Amino acid sequence: MPIQIEHLTHIYGDDTTLAVKALDDINLTISDGEFIGLIGHTGSGKSTLVQHLNGLLKASSGSILFDGQNIYDKGYDLKALRSQVGLVFQYPEHQLFEIDVFSDVCFGPKNLGLSEEEVKERATKALESVGIPKELYNQSPFDLSGGQKRRVAIAGVLAMDPKVLILDEPTAGLDPQGREEILDLIKGLQTKSHMTILLVSHSMEDVAEYVDRILVMNHGRVVYDGTPKEVFAHYKELEDIGLACPQVTYVCHDLHDAGFDVDLTATTVDEAKESILRALG
Amino acid sequence: MLRDITLGQYYQTDSVIHRLDPRVKLAGTLVYVITLFFYKNFVGYALAILFLALVIRLSKVPFKFMVRGMKSILFLLMITVLFNLFLTPGTPVVSFWKLHITQEGTALAVSMALRLTLLVIGSSLMTLTTTPNNLTDGMEKGMGFLRIFKVPVHDVAMMMSIALRFIPILLEETDKIMKAQMARGADFESGNLIKRAKALVPLLVPLFVSAFRRANDLAMAMEARCYRGGDGRTKMKPLKYKGRDFTAYAILLFFMVFSIWAGRLRLPMLMVGIVQ
Repeated sequence: MPIQIEHLTHIYGDDTTLAVKALDDINLTISDGEFIGLIGHTGSGKSTLVQHLNGLLKASSGSILFDGQNIYDKGYDLKALRSQVGLVFQYPEHQLFEIDVFSDVCFGPKNLGLSEEEVKERATKALESVGIPKELYNQSPFDLSGGQKRRVAIAGVLAMDPKVLILDEPTAGLDPQGREEILDLIKGLQTKSHMTILLVSHSMEDVAEYVDRILVMNHGRVVYDGTPKEVFAHYKELEDIGLACPQVTYVCHDLHDAGFDVDLTATTVDEAKESILRALG
Repeated sequence: MLRDITLGQYYQTDSVIHRLDPRVKLAGTLVYVITLFFYKNFVGYALAILFLALVIRLSKVPFKFMVRGMKSILFLLMITVLFNLFLTPGTPVVSFWKLHITQEGTALAVSMALRLTLLVIGSSLMTLTTTPNNLTDGMEKGMGFLRIFKVPVHDVAMMMSIALRFIPILLEETDKIMKAQMARGADFESGNLIKRAKALVPLLVPLFVSAFRRANDLAMAMEARCYRGGDGRTKMKPLKYKGRDFTAYAILLFFMVFSIWAGRLRLPMLMVGIVQ
């Protein structure tokens, strides 16, 4: 179910002296099964954009077509949209509230009006897919570790069985190991469950290693849209808007300037290693 | 919906009123609110409206921000008006069934409505033109004399400024949690009263948890910076009266005396309530 965004503009505080144009004429198409990284520095409009995709925020102007239908049409079922487009907020563990892990994950599917068995089935499936062991199902979510809490919160959204999953900075505040676990889990969701994934991040390393397509936002506009290699080729311009490329990009460029014949488009550590080894013979 | 709460919300712009010393604005609001209770005829209210309109004009705050604050007391206002209108004894003007609208009732209802409206708009004007920090600073300094009576003025002021500072943070947090639960299919807007109250649990639990977490962090941060209460504490920007502040006090005094004098004149057709 593709998402088409047409001329989307959003202005915060329209009627005050502090009006801010958070999104400025965004045009995008998100196709099925894509794994997209959305990057941009703080205040570039990333979070605002993703909150439009499931109808939590209403655009000042423009339209969003989900599966060909405008979500701003009168009578459009936003609740159904939210079950299709799952949104995991920044620090999602702050939304946990139930007495135990299992009931918390049940909250979403219960809201969809499913039968009790189906709710339980979905919750179990979601918890399994994020790797929460059965022993923890009856524990209070507040007693878990940070990484576990986050995985439970992600399971809470996965239990809605969405076709599109949007994650806003899912690795913020986690240690390197926790980060890798979460990102591997997300990659798995795309390859195994064929979900469309939109990953909001400002860590270039994360994005470069996992996604197929990168969107770069600056001042409410999409400034670059392409594969990691294409986007990171603009590494100078990216620096100007306050973003950095993966470290390996810099290493490769420096080696190239020093006279080594390395691949300048390497974006992951593995690619760079290969190319440097080849250059050294 | 949460953004509609104006009481305690600052409107940023540059105006004479914004630049006044917070103590002047505090005293002004107090004086204004008190004088509202002295009027016995509508001339007093007319003067009060005129004065407020003038200050609003000077403050450059768009009028619709005042009206927003009114929404919260609309219900109270309606009840007050209805009760006064129907339950005041006197000369009946209109009667139907067992209800009588009296001349006195009408006058009383109108004056009550005016009083409440002016009260709310007057006090929201203060918060609209004064940052919470300035406000508590003004309070701390203005109430300093209470220290003689062992009132912990500084501590109260600090608590107030923290409470005020937390309002926007908690509103933002509420907004965020609300959205996060809506993304999980929560519905806060439909259903009967019980269903709606139940729907608040997924909102309130995380909100309380986060409020406690923030309070803890703040206490820790204050302690790490060796906060130990008001004794011997100095200010980076101490409050100081300027020329315009004295002018404002003079205007205020004049308004108070003149409007109370005019508001208590015995004018036959313009009296409020039961005249003995």
